[in-house]
Amino acid sequence: MADENILLGAVAYDAKVVPIWEGIREHFRKQSVPMDFCLFSNYERQVESLLAGHIDIAWNTPLAHVRVQKRTEGKSLSLGMRDSDRDFRSRVIVRKDAGIKSLKDLAGKTLAVGSRDSTQARILPLHFLGQQGIDLSTVRLLPFDTDVGKHGDTGTSELDVLKALHEGRAQAGTVGDLIWVLEQAAGRIDTGKLEVLWTTPGFDHCMFDALPTLSASKLELFKKGLFAMKWEIPEHRRILELEGLKQWMPPRQEGYASLRAALDDQKGW
Amino acid sequence: MGRLATVAIDGGDLPFGGGLLALVRPALNGMEPGGVLAVHSRTPAIADEFFTWCKLEHHELLESSAQTGFTRLLIQKGSLGAPRGIMEINQDLPTRAGRLDAATVLEAVPFPAKADPGTGFAPRGARVEPGGPAYPFALNDRDRTAPPDVAALYDQAVSAQWNGDTDIAWDRIKPLSPPLQQALGQIMTFLAENELSALYVPSRFIARVHPAYVEVGMFLSTQLADEARHIDVFLKRARKGGGGLGISHATTSASLHSLLMLEDFTEAAFLLSVLGEGTFLDLLRYIEVNAPDEVTADIVRRARADETRHVHFGMSHVKHALQQDPALYGRLEAAVRRRSATLAGVNGVPAAVQDALTILVARGIDPPSVRRGHETYRELLNVMHENRIKRLASAGFSHDQAQTLSDLHTPNFM
Ligand SMILES: [Fe+2]
Ligand SMILES: [Fe+2]
Repeated sequence: MADENILLGAVAYDAKVVPIWEGIREHFRKQSVPMDFCLFSNYERQVESLLAGHIDIAWNTPLAHVRVQKRTEGKSLSLGMRDSDRDFRSRVIVRKDAGIKSLKDLAGKTLAVGSRDSTQARILPLHFLGQQGIDLSTVRLLPFDTDVGKHGDTGTSELDVLKALHEGRAQAGTVGDLIWVLEQAAGRIDTGKLEVLWTTPGFDHCMFDALPTLSASKLELFKKGLFAMKWEIPEHRRILELEGLKQWMPPRQEGYASLRAALDDQKGW
Repeated sequence: MGRLATVAIDGGDLPFGGGLLALVRPALNGMEPGGVLAVHSRTPAIADEFFTWCKLEHHELLESSAQTGFTRLLIQKGSLGAPRGIMEINQDLPTRAGRLDAATVLEAVPFPAKADPGTGFAPRGARVEPGGPAYPFALNDRDRTAPPDVAALYDQAVSAQWNGDTDIAWDRIKPLSPPLQQALGQIMTFLAENELSALYVPSRFIARVHPAYVEVGMFLSTQLADEARHIDVFLKRARKGGGGLGISHATTSASLHSLLMLEDFTEAAFLLSVLGEGTFLDLLRYIEVNAPDEVTADIVRRARADETRHVHFGMSHVKHALQQDPALYGRLEAAVRRRSATLAGVNGVPAAVQDALTILVARGIDPPSVRRGHETYRELLNVMHENRIKRLASAGFSHDQAQTLSDLHTPNFM
């Protein structure tokens, strides 16, 4: 690509994605970094477009990130992540009236889970439960496969899980800690009915991915632009708040080991 | 351990989303960034909830330790998203004989010299969470917007409201002789037309005033209510007793149009309230003294009492602004000259108004009475001119400036 613009891909999981990336593009422009973005409707097409060289950089979910790494045999470049992408956890929530006191008690119960491509609401909590010695074949899964292709970004399937729990259609359910805490903070959880049974180990979330062929100048310019965003600067802050972070962080890979293992187990690649 | 918490909360066994946050959030809101809150909780696994919540809210979870029977958490308040401004604590408002007026509130919570459009509709004194949109307020400067006595004027206005339906002895109006009835209809038409401009012009500025100076909006809203009532009673008087409305002159229309087009609040206060409504006071006094009946005198007297407040507000506004910015003298003079230029060709008081004011005094059409009416009317013009000069001098204009500005003032009175 002779285009001097860094072309960035993002998935339009919400209407706010447009102002976020227009804001970031404006910020890059002020840093003299030419950048443009294109929006995809799902992460699968975004990953294929990155691999085909149609875009320079993809803003990827953890699932898309580890897939890009696998498809490039570990040669892809990881460029950065949000502070808030680090140390995610999932929760196993239970109904208080279900008599579930430990993970073993899940046997024979209905466990509501999120979309099949949601890292936090399905892939990882089931993986971690397996690691805890829970035989998932003894648990009745109630899956909510909403917004497939968005990799759980919309949170819709997690809200479905919480609704099923409130209504008694499931005795247990798995959600990410972000939704769980946000819903509690908004007063939408009936704490008389629901409680936390278990919290998973931590894992990391989104990542900027690029092919190893990305030119050194684009790579440096992108990092320069990205890490120049500061919470203290009001125009930056507006965008950072929308995107849900306070600071861009350098990449780290250890937070994705559990996801790779889960995809191996679940034949989810 | 070893970190000292400034505030401590015992949350008992309240669930995180079932009441505990309702204790934790206000406690943090009451602290400065960097302050440390200790939370004791008997709820199982509570540390996991605070781990995520602190990450989301950008607070720092300094410590979570299991004690016998409870968890102790130390949360350091983050600076991100913290409301700006100084927290009001122990604010009290003194009452006088059980009354609490707006002037007392203004004294306790004074106007800021400048206001930030980013604080939107946040009331003065509230702490404001950052990140709200900028509002299109144009009047963000105390000295060009909010004279110090505006709250006292608001208090007076609220106490002085009257009812144009029930407070006027409408039943006592008797039919007048046809010439007098016609003159009164013309005068009331002219008054109502001018009152309409006094309703519209201030209303254009209310939404431009930053809410930090809300007392200005409060006062102007009483002025709007006053003008609405004046329009109402003047039109009722024109028709009651067998009369009807008179003519609206192009002269009047041009004069009032030039008021409506003003874009500057201080220029509008000067031209409408100081010069226009000021001149109107003398007109209302003239009508009151020469009223054909007590009901008409009562209506006009009540309107004049209201107008006196409007003039007072305009004078206060202009005086205060002039004290802060002497260059304003020149700008106000220029505004009067510009308006006078757009009204070139407007020659004298509208004829029908002039005649009606003459007949009002004459009470009939016999020549000696009409002569007396004409002389009284000419005296009115002198009184208006003299009083305009007094008001301008009181605002701080030199005698020569005042003389010139009064001469340039519209012959339409308003
Ligand atoms: Fe009026
Ligand atoms: Fe008025």
